[in-house]
Amino acid sequence: MAEEKVSRRDFLLYAMGGWAAVGLGGVLYAMYKTWEPLPEVKAAGIVRFDLSQVQPGQLKVVQWRGKPVFVLRRTPDMGSCENRTVANEYTVVVGICTHLGCIPNWEVDKKIFKCPCHGGEFDACGVNIFGPPPKPLEIPPFKLEGTTIVLGETGPEYEKMMKG
Amino acid sequence: MGNKLIKWLDERLAITTLWRVLMAEYYLPKNINWLWSSGVLTILVFVILVVSGIFVLMYYKPDAKLAFDSVNKTIMMDVSFGWVFRHVHAVGASIMFLVLFIHMGRGIYYGSYKAPREILWVTGFILFVLMSATAFTGYLLPWGQMSYWAAQTITTLFSKIPVIGPDLVIWIRGNYIVEDATLTRFFALHVTLLPALIVVFTVIHLYALRIVGSNNEDGIPMTKEEKKEKGIPFWPVFISKEFFVMSVFLFFFFYLVFFNYKFAMDPINFEPANYLQTPPHIYPEWYFLSFYEVLRGFFFSETLGLIGFVLSMVIPLFLPWLDTSPYPFISAKHRPLFRIAFWVFVADFVALTILGKLPPTGLFAWLGFIASLVYFGFFLALPIISKIEKKQAASGGVR
Amino acid sequence: MKELKILLVIVVIVGITYWGIEPLAHSIMHKHIEEAIEKYNLPDYKFSDLGPAPAISGDAAQGKKNFQMFCASCHGLKADGIPAPMDPKTAAASFGVVPPDLSNVASFTAENFLYHFIKDPARASEFKKISMPAMGLDDKQIMDIIAYLKSTAKKIHGAELFKEACGRCHGAKYQKIYADTPADALKKYLGKVPPDLSIIMKAKGEHYLVAFINKPQALLPGTSMPRVGLNEEATEDLMKYLDEISDPHKEQRKKVGLIVLAYMLVMIGLTYAWKKKIWRNIH
Repeated sequence: MAEEKVSRRDFLLYAMGGWAAVGLGGVLYAMYKTWEPLPEVKAAGIVRFDLSQVQPGQLKVVQWRGKPVFVLRRTPDMGSCENRTVANEYTVVVGICTHLGCIPNWEVDKKIFKCPCHGGEFDACGVNIFGPPPKPLEIPPFKLEGTTIVLGETGPEYEKMMKG
Repeated sequence: MGNKLIKWLDERLAITTLWRVLMAEYYLPKNINWLWSSGVLTILVFVILVVSGIFVLMYYKPDAKLAFDSVNKTIMMDVSFGWVFRHVHAVGASIMFLVLFIHMGRGIYYGSYKAPREILWVTGFILFVLMSATAFTGYLLPWGQMSYWAAQTITTLFSKIPVIGPDLVIWIRGNYIVEDATLTRFFALHVTLLPALIVVFTVIHLYALRIVGSNNEDGIPMTKEEKKEKGIPFWPVFISKEFFVMSVFLFFFFYLVFFNYKFAMDPINFEPANYLQTPPHIYPEWYFLSFYEVLRGFFFSETLGLIGFVLSMVIPLFLPWLDTSPYPFISAKHRPLFRIAFWVFVADFVALTILGKLPPTGLFAWLGFIASLVYFGFFLALPIISKIEKKQAASGGVR
Repeated sequence: MKELKILLVIVVIVGITYWGIEPLAHSIMHKHIEEAIEKYNLPDYKFSDLGPAPAISGDAAQGKKNFQMFCASCHGLKADGIPAPMDPKTAAASFGVVPPDLSNVASFTAENFLYHFIKDPARASEFKKISMPAMGLDDKQIMDIIAYLKSTAKKIHGAELFKEACGRCHGAKYQKIYADTPADALKKYLGKVPPDLSIIMKAKGEHYLVAFINKPQALLPGTSMPRVGLNEEATEDLMKYLDEISDPHKEQRKKVGLIVLAYMLVMIGLTYAWKKKIWRNIH
């Protein structure tokens, strides 16, 4: 008899504890949600840029999610790279060296990106050609709407590029 | 596995002993009702306030230019579930005082402030004052019209202090009016010093409780052994009731948070602070209305009003020394005279609270004056009642 | 039983206090507002103090000519290709406030108000400092203009309605809507910068706002807010919009609230059962 009573009490106690844990979970979920970026931050994560304003051979830098994005309209002498070309003639890459995160400079005469920190070099397509960088400059997710590029959204061109 | 861990911890922290001392073998009298749960409720509400406070703090900006929008736009509209934490914090502050009033009323009715529980009463009252200061400083932070003008008028009171007053009020505000400097210092007090002091005094309060033990409905003094024999252990008997009371309380609390929160968020406070325009009616939050009414009650003399205001917040501190009658005259249950005085006091407190919000003109002004006198009358009647009861006790006229 | 009795006592005390500091104080402090609402029978969408518009049927084509002659030097009417005569900044500097584009004005303004407003702006708006003068037009001319305005007006809602009906003086910055007229010009014209309306619904409530917009001078004598003659449909639409923007999480609040209360009910059941179990042998 006595034993049974104890187990009943324990059952209720455990049920109560379990239910309290459910409530705690709900509270933690709400707390978790409060740390998400605010709507305006999320909205600022999507940047539109009109590619046609870049002259052939010119480099423009667009700010996207706090990072510089290089938009280079290549001329034929800069070489080609089918799988890293946006809208036939543009290089669009995140301007952060894949070695240790410095911002490379565009050297007009040599037509390369050169990182001032450790001398890494990238060609006009953003592919690493010299020095410590382990891989090419990253291509940000993008979508094309006519001549406008939308950074931060993924379009079919970007997906194709990533597959290839 | 579980047992091993417990053993490991026990060798280092003596947790089983701690559990025994604090929970399983801490005894409470059996003749207590659910009002004895109000103490744990204050701790519950305090925890709710701290947690919700931390989360609104993450987006709040203590700057006169940014504060209003950071509350009403960022927290209330942009942050996911930000509005929940804000509602909980605002309603929690209001409900904290409801619970505190019930807790203190319980203490007064059953004579829980009398020897040997004076320290309990004094620390408890200090906690009430600290909580008031926290609520007052916190109320300025949304930087709405009512926040601003409540702070403006209450800080102005300091200027009435003779000689140093005018300089003191400028020092408190850090400006000639309530401004950015006032906001940031109130903010600092609200989030650091005051809550820390509340924790310290809560610890002292609870420590004192463990030494002298809980009072009971009949005010019968009990030794620890008597309680062990006739009482109930804190765990699981008292706590099982406590959990039930807590659940009912939280149901009520969340009903207010989600469906009836307007009483805790004055509409006027949704207009940004404007130091060039006073709202037509200024009043403090409901929990300060009674003291505020004492201030206004002596409507014919500003000085008297101010003295009354300060006294009304100091005099309860001396309750244990104003009311000194011995056992069996502890609980109002066995004190007919005191019982009458108590209910007059409660009615008076409610009247003061209501009058505190009404415009202080005509009949209301006189009612406020009378109610203020009755407030002090209660405390002044206590020594007389004690004297009568002492005589009764001496002549053996005990029921 | 004793426990319930104590609860009852507390409920009664709290109930009296609540009643005293909410409904009672409210009714006493806002008495003059309720009195004004009753006195003028607000909201009065007929604007009965102005009287009806004359029973003349206007001619839109003639109205257009009148418009170009009498109105177009200050007002634009984009819907019919008439641009605003000056940019907002210049207009605000010369008139105090940017004169409205009149494309849709007839869709949200009561007809008789429009008539009386054109006839005598200061009287209809109950705002003596209003910068639009009485033009001295006769009834036929006015009714023609109104017919023309009606022909161009299309129904607008929400933010668009807010911008056209209120947006010359008021902004709603949480919606990134800013007043057409620069703040310093407004301050000069009205004496103070009109309030931002992002959360005005929370501050004032629908009951007050509807009456106030309908007849500002009745509720706030001496205010610089002119009567603008919104019709019933537009007022309701606007109230809906102001409510939405002031309280965007209303639906979520109800939903989460019900879940939390249901959760607490189960908790009450569980804790009660446990308490019963524990206390069975105590009494």
